[in-house]
Amino acid sequence: MPGQSTQQATIHARLPIVALFLIFLASLLIIHLANFQFFPRSVRQELERIGSSITNTTLRIPAERGMIYDRDGEPLTFNIVQYRLGVSPDLVFDAETLMKQLSVILDMDEVELYFKLTSENVWEFVAGPISAEQGQAVAALDDISLGLEEIPRRFYPQGSLAAHVIGIVLDDGLIGTLGVEGAYNSTLAGRVMDLSVSNVPFDLPEDRPAEQRGQDIVLTLDRDVQFWMEVELEQAVRENGAFRGSIIVMDPRNGEVLALANYPSFDPNRFLEITDPNLLINPAVQETYEPGSLMQVLTAATALESGAITAQWSYNDVGLIEIGGREFRNRFFRAHGAVDITGVLAQSLHVGSATMALAMGEEAFYSGLRAFGLGQATGVGLFNEEQGELRLRGDTGWSESAFGLNSYGQDLQVTQMQMITAFAAIANDGIMRQPHIVRQVISEEGPKDARHSTVRRVLSTETANILKNLLVRTVREGAPEAYMPNYTVAGKPGTAQINTAIGYETGPNSSIVSFIGFLPADEPEVVAMVKLDRPDDFFGFEVAAPVFRRIADRLVILLEIPDDAVRRELQTVEARLRASQTEQD
Amino acid sequence: MSQAWFQHTFSRRRFQTQSQATAIAILSVAILLILGSLYLSQVAAFAITNREIEDLIARRDEIKQQNEQLIGEIASFRIVPRLYARAVEIGFRPATNDDIEYLVFESYNPNRQTRAFAAAARHSAEPAASDYDETFGGWLQSQFDLLRRQFQAFGE
Repeated sequence: MPGQSTQQATIHARLPIVALFLIFLASLLIIHLANFQFFPRSVRQELERIGSSITNTTLRIPAERGMIYDRDGEPLTFNIVQYRLGVSPDLVFDAETLMKQLSVILDMDEVELYFKLTSENVWEFVAGPISAEQGQAVAALDDISLGLEEIPRRFYPQGSLAAHVIGIVLDDGLIGTLGVEGAYNSTLAGRVMDLSVSNVPFDLPEDRPAEQRGQDIVLTLDRDVQFWMEVELEQAVRENGAFRGSIIVMDPRNGEVLALANYPSFDPNRFLEITDPNLLINPAVQETYEPGSLMQVLTAATALESGAITAQWSYNDVGLIEIGGREFRNRFFRAHGAVDITGVLAQSLHVGSATMALAMGEEAFYSGLRAFGLGQATGVGLFNEEQGELRLRGDTGWSESAFGLNSYGQDLQVTQMQMITAFAAIANDGIMRQPHIVRQVISEEGPKDARHSTVRRVLSTETANILKNLLVRTVREGAPEAYMPNYTVAGKPGTAQINTAIGYETGPNSSIVSFIGFLPADEPEVVAMVKLDRPDDFFGFEVAAPVFRRIADRLVILLEIPDDAVRRELQTVEARLRASQTEQD
Repeated sequence: MSQAWFQHTFSRRRFQTQSQATAIAILSVAILLILGSLYLSQVAAFAITNREIEDLIARRDEIKQQNEQLIGEIASFRIVPRLYARAVEIGFRPATNDDIEYLVFESYNPNRQTRAFAAAARHSAEPAASDYDETFGGWLQSQFDLLRRQFQAFGE
């Protein structure tokens, strides 16, 4: 069949063309398919994001905040969980039954609950924060219309104890403020993490990563000492009609703060109920004041250290001295005749301090005060510590007469922490230790001792010993109310007038009284400072010294400090043991 | 007719091979079904296990919370004012200096020991800052320590 063969010939001729065309089409498809696999990076990421958003949910996991302990491991903080309860009224099946159940659990008014459960809104807030027990009881109802949201909370089991030292946490347990909570927020807070969780039921559920937890902090505070200081302080404030008061107790040998008490204080578990925001301020580190006659000790120390005066120094007190064109007088305008350093300190003589300051000169005086740490924050480790104000020549507001005023504690601002740190340096043979409130930081790797070095040597050992003897005599002659029969106490009372824009306040309740003392004077183990604002009586020796005596009585028991006779006996025994050991060697 | 039927039957011989293929296909489907059901049962068991693990994690978290709550409550019961009030209730009073008698024993260290914190004692803590050394070497060491701490703090 010629016709058929022609047709076959045509097909045979066209078949390669069709095949080629099909191969071409297939190649195009393959190229497109390959091209489809190689998107630009941005497109690929976007597609991956869309993909994972379908299969994954991002959960924000709040980090568990680190704990705070006292020096003996007693917990001062806890993390607890509270809940916020909400309802989807559209999903409520039986509003009346649910209302009754919730009313019992939450102790809420039934009518109020009913309105919420039958609201027109898509979502209605019911109650919060509610306790963990209430939250668990609500969860046990297993009602799909109810939604519980966890709220991490900080709980302070000791209540108001050391509230200003520990601080508080804001924003659902995330941001620490005040005290150690504020100063060490980044250490305690840990890391808030966004965890991507798979919705696919075949993927293994992931556990919360442990490394996000905040680190624990061990304080130098002694809970028992803190408690008794707070008890004594409250009593002192009430008895003396004072506006408020503070007590700091420190170990001068290492700078550890054993107690820091303020009255009035607050309960950090209920800080939202505080109506007076000033209660949240820690006056011991966040407020400055003119130290008054306490400063005379630093003036005498600086003068002795500079060599301008000696321990035998005395002057003729005529009750008046002129510096920078301004006359300075003693209190009650008295002249005291021949007076030594003890006399200046015991009677708080303005003229005596100014005379010592003049003897050493302005440069030595201010460099001495700077060495004692005035005008600089101590770095004790508490939130928002003030640095005080010490004006030098050339600073705004400084004048020649300010030099005289500064010598007895006026026209300069200090914090209580600065003053006790300076006195601790004298007690510690002239070596100033870094004051600190944090003893250890415990992380996943284990505890790490907070490294608190020596700040500097402020005085020579000889000057420090002279000062100690002077302060022992000052207690005997100027503040016998602080005298303890079986212990040698060194200390100095202070009285400061309150400076206002129109001058110093006068009249009743117009002074700040204080007392700083340490014991045993020859080998000090503890230094304590009492400060009362606006007491009924005016002078430090009559108000603050008796309070110091009371707290010292407590401290020697709590810190197990034996009296002088026992210590001497111990020293004899130790010396004998050492001698016998040397003989054996 | 019979010839046509024979031819038809004969021509179906070609389907002999198709019936084998069908049998193989059916067998394959059966195997696939078995494998599929095995896979599904495994996946279902896996999903159930995961749900159980999730529930256990939630339960563990809840128990941890309850535990912390209890520790908190215990700590609340151990606060000093409460202990003090209880002690007074049962007849104790705060000691005074007159109540305390110190006895001197040879070879006993009278210095107050630092009580080790139980949690910290589990680990070996880094040594505390060394004593103040006033020599040039001591000063150099303190400066080096300071620099090292600054670097460490920067690293953290």
